[in-house]
Amino acid sequence: MDQFGSSLDRLARAYEADPEKRRDLSQDIHFQLWRSFQRYDGRCSLRTWVYRIAHHVATSHVIRERRIFWSLVTLEELETFPDKEGPEAATRRVNLDRLSALVQRLKPLDRQVIVCYLEDLDAASIGEITGLSPGNVAVRIHRIKNVLVKWFHEEKNYG
Amino acid sequence: MGDELPRDEFKAIWHSQPTGTSTMTMKLIRSKARDLQAKTRRQLLGTVAAPLAAAFLYAFGIREFPALEHVMHPLFAFTLVWSLVGLYFLNRGMWSTVMPGDAGLSTGLEFCRGEIERRRYLLRRVLLWSLGPVLLAIGTFILVLAMIGTKDRGLFPNGLPFLALVVVWILGYFVMRGREQRELKRELDELNDLEKDNSR
Repeated sequence: MDQFGSSLDRLARAYEADPEKRRDLSQDIHFQLWRSFQRYDGRCSLRTWVYRIAHHVATSHVIRERRIFWSLVTLEELETFPDKEGPEAATRRVNLDRLSALVQRLKPLDRQVIVCYLEDLDAASIGEITGLSPGNVAVRIHRIKNVLVKWFHEEKNYG
Repeated sequence: MGDELPRDEFKAIWHSQPTGTSTMTMKLIRSKARDLQAKTRRQLLGTVAAPLAAAFLYAFGIREFPALEHVMHPLFAFTLVWSLVGLYFLNRGMWSTVMPGDAGLSTGLEFCRGEIERRRYLLRRVLLWSLGPVLLAIGTFILVLAMIGTKDRGLFPNGLPFLALVVVWILGYFVMRGREQRELKRELDELNDLEKDNSR
């Protein structure tokens, strides 16, 4: 678990903004992983197994905790979002908070792709974890990059 | 697209976040097991709310308006049986057949779809087996109030604010649950479209 500990902490941040709930989610992920290892039979790599279980736990958490007046969005919808914050507010915020807030707005599957991408996984591994075809992964990563560039670089130009 | 995705500044930002070291100790495992048991107890307690509400209204109605027993007995008895049968169906639908830790061979797409379908199924079950009996119990109680009100003019108008509140609560509940159902359906459709894209 030492090998994946930091990645799993970051993954929990992508799914839960509240620190207390995030700690619980992180513990749930470790607990479910601990339970799951007796079933691991090497049919996929250990990394794929760990990420799958972690994303499954986090996805369950998101679906269970969904708020009625807080809709999650798809990548396509996120692309059309205007950046409502002015340059002043934007410069005040830490980049990591902005990145996390953006990721936390996404629906679970898009969130899986973006987290795996940010964790530096290759397209084949992302496909194996999410079940998306390489073409689909490529398109989504391309869109993710465009959204990130739009949200971050435009704001730098304002500043 | 190559397998290697270029590392960029967003990845650097992402990796810059502080992380703790989470280790699974026996103490923590026991604590998680206790949490899960407590959560299960709370959920079980939640499912008993409908029979309890029906029983309370039944007892209260019989005690306060014995003259209308002949109306109340069949309706409230049906409500009680409905809610008690609902306990079985609610509990059967509530628990996931697959826990996240048992689904290591399922992809994100498969698991996500399963969870959304389970959530939709559970919402429908709650409406049918929990809210349904409660609504019938409240409806029966209001009917009794209305029948008494025709004899004693003062009672029913006095109960109007309560009645209005109940109607607003029911409408609000249905609006919110309907919205959630539509949202879940939309997500399921999106996942199905994604799967179709995958097979092209």
